Amino acid sequence: MIKHQRDFWSGIMFAVVGLGFVVFAREYDMGTAQRMGPAFFPTVLGGLLALLGLVVAFKGWFKRAVDGTDGTVGSFDWRAVGFVLGAVIVYALLLKPMGLVVAMVVLIAIASLGSHEFRWIEIVALSAVMGLIVWAVFIYGLKLTIPVWPAFLVN
Amino acid sequence: MELLNNLALGFATALSLQNLMYAFFGVLIGTLIGVLPGIGPVATLAMLLPTTYALEPTSALIMLAGIYYGAQYGGSTTAILVNLPGESSSVVTCLDGYQMARRGRAGAALGLAAIGSFIAGSFATVLVAAFAPPLTELAFKFGPAEYFSLMVLGLIGAVVLASGSLIKAIGMILLGLLLGLVGTDVNSGVARFSFDIPELADGLGFVAVAMGVFGFAEIIANLAQRGHREVFTSKVGPLLPTGKDMKQAAPAIARGTLLGSILGILPGGGALLASFASYTLEKKIAGAKADPPFGQGNLRGVAGPESANNAGAQTSFIPMLTLGIPPNAVMALMIGAMTIHNIQPGPQVMTSNPSLFWGLIASMWIGNLMLVILNLPLIGLWIQLLKVPYRWLYPAILTFCCIGVYSINNNVFDIYITAGFGMLGYVFYKLKCEPAPLILGFILGPMMEENLRRAMLLSRGDPTTFFTRPLSLTLLLIAAVLLLIVLAPSIQRKRGEAFQEAD
Repeated sequence: MIKHQRDFWSGIMFAVVGLGFVVFAREYDMGTAQRMGPAFFPTVLGGLLALLGLVVAFKGWFKRAVDGTDGTVGSFDWRAVGFVLGAVIVYALLLKPMGLVVAMVVLIAIASLGSHEFRWIEIVALSAVMGLIVWAVFIYGLKLTIPVWPAFLVN
Repeated sequence: MELLNNLALGFATALSLQNLMYAFFGVLIGTLIGVLPGIGPVATLAMLLPTTYALEPTSALIMLAGIYYGAQYGGSTTAILVNLPGESSSVVTCLDGYQMARRGRAGAALGLAAIGSFIAGSFATVLVAAFAPPLTELAFKFGPAEYFSLMVLGLIGAVVLASGSLIKAIGMILLGLLLGLVGTDVNSGVARFSFDIPELADGLGFVAVAMGVFGFAEIIANLAQRGHREVFTSKVGPLLPTGKDMKQAAPAIARGTLLGSILGILPGGGALLASFASYTLEKKIAGAKADPPFGQGNLRGVAGPESANNAGAQTSFIPMLTLGIPPNAVMALMIGAMTIHNIQPGPQVMTSNPSLFWGLIASMWIGNLMLVILNLPLIGLWIQLLKVPYRWLYPAILTFCCIGVYSINNNVFDIYITAGFGMLGYVFYKLKCEPAPLILGFILGPMMEENLRRAMLLSRGDPTTFFTRPLSLTLLLIAAVLLLIVLAPSIQRKRGEAFQEAD
C-alpha cells in the first residue's frame, strides 16, 4: 500500500519525465567536456531528475505524510478542466478562421458552463461587455493585429 | 554626488507627463487585477505584457513595474477583506489582516498595509539606487563560471523558500531547467525536443508556460473548489490607523523593511520569502504576551509582512538590473519585456541606457506614492470589484489571457501550449508541487547551459574552474551553506512550522 500517494506520484512523474529527456537526448551529440554537445546538459539534468524522482517515489511508498493530511491526491475535477481548457482550445481553433469576436463569445460561453451557477442571460451580457472592453483596449487602443471578423466576411 | 545626479536624471525621466501617465495606468490596472482573487503578479504581468508592446522601452518598463506593485498591493487588499490571498506573498497577510477585518478594523489593516508598504518602498528605492552602481561594477568582473555559480546559488535559494517538500522543489527546478532547453540549441543549431513541430523549434514561450501554470491552473482549482467567499464590505472602519496603532506598528514596519530589503536581493528571494520571514520574526519578538495574539488580528502581523514584501519586491530589481539575472518569476518577465524591446539585460544597461535605468528606479518611488494616494480613496471601488461573482470574472480573465498569449507571437500555437501547461499546473496543484521553482528553472535553463559551456570551453574542459576562481567559489560556498542550513533537522522543523502557520 502506498503511504503517501501525492509524493509517490510526484516521484513517478519526475522519474518518467527525466528519463524521457535522457532517452530523447540520445539523438543528439554529447560532445566533450571542453566542447559540450547539445545532448550533454539535458542528459545530466534528466538523469538527476529521474534519480530524484525515484527517491521521492520510494519515500512516498514507505513514509506517511507529515503535514497532517492523509497524502491522497484527491479526485480530479474533470468537469472544470474540460470546460476551461476546452473553451481555450476551441478559441484557438476559431480565432484565425472566424475572428476574435466569434472566438471570444464561444470562449466565454463554454468557460461559463464550467461554473455550477451559470445563467444564459449573464453569458450574453458578459460577452457584450467583454467585446466592448476588448475592442476598446486591444483593437482600438493598442492596435494589435488580431483578426476581428470571420475571414470569409472580410475578404 | 554622483548618486544625486543619477537620481535627478531618473526623476527627470520618470516625471515626464507621458511616463507619469504610464506609471499611473500601470499601478491602477495592476491593482485592479491584483485585487481579483487568484491572480498573482506573475499572471497579471503576463496578461498585461502585450499592452506595453507599442510603448517606448522606458515607458513600457515603468508601466510594468507599476503593474507589479499594483498587483502586489491589490493582493493584500483581497487578503484582508476576503481571506483569500490574491497572490502567494500575501498569504500571511490573510492570517491577521482578515481577523482584524472580522473585528471591524479592516480600514486600519488596509491603512497600515498602505503606509507600511510606502515606507518600505521608499527605503528600498534608495537602496536600489545606492547599490546598483557598485554591483554593476562587480558584475563586469563576472565570467561565465561566475554566472553559472550565481545561478546555482539562485536556484538553491529558490528551493529554500519553496514552502512544501524540499526534495520536490528541487525536482520542480530540474523540470523547469529541462523545459527551458526545449528548442533550438544556439551552439549547434540542433532543434532539441521539438518533435519536428516547427513552433517548438523556437522553444516554449515563457508567458505561455507561466500563464498556464499560474493562471489557468488556478482558475481550474478555484472552480473545482466551489468555495464560499465572505467579503467584509459593510463596515471597513476608518482607514487611517490611530496614533496608538502607528506607535505599535512602527517597529514592525522598520524591521519588515530591513528584512525585506535584504531578502529581496538574494537570488531566489523576493516578496514571498520576505513576508513569511517577517511574520515569523514579529511573532517571535512579540512572544506569548502579544495582545491580541498573532493569528487573531495582531496589527504587527499585517504591518511587518506588508512592509517586508514591498521592500523585497523592490530590491529584487537589483540582481535583475545589475546582472541581468532574474531572482524570481516576476523579474524573469521583466527581462522578457526588456528583450522584446531589444534591450539586452545585464550590467551594460546602466551605461548604455542611463535614462531607462535611473528612470525605472525613480519611478519605483513615484509608483509607491501613487499606490497610497490611489488606494486609500479608491478602496470602495476595490470592494465593489470583490463583490463581482467569480463566475463572471474567470471567463473575462481567460479572454484576456488568450488574447495576451496570442499577441506575443501572433501565433495560435502558443494558446495550445498554454492550455497544456494549464493541465500540467492543475496536476502540480493536486500533487502539491510548487510551480514557482519550475518557472525560475525554466528561465535560467538556457542561460545556465550557455554559461556552463563557455566556462568549460575557457578552462579547456577542466571542471575545477568553478572552484579555483575566487568569486565563483564564494558563490558556490554560499549555496552549499544555504543547502546545509535548510537540511539541518532543527531548521527543517522550524521551516515546517513557519509555512504550516500560513496554510
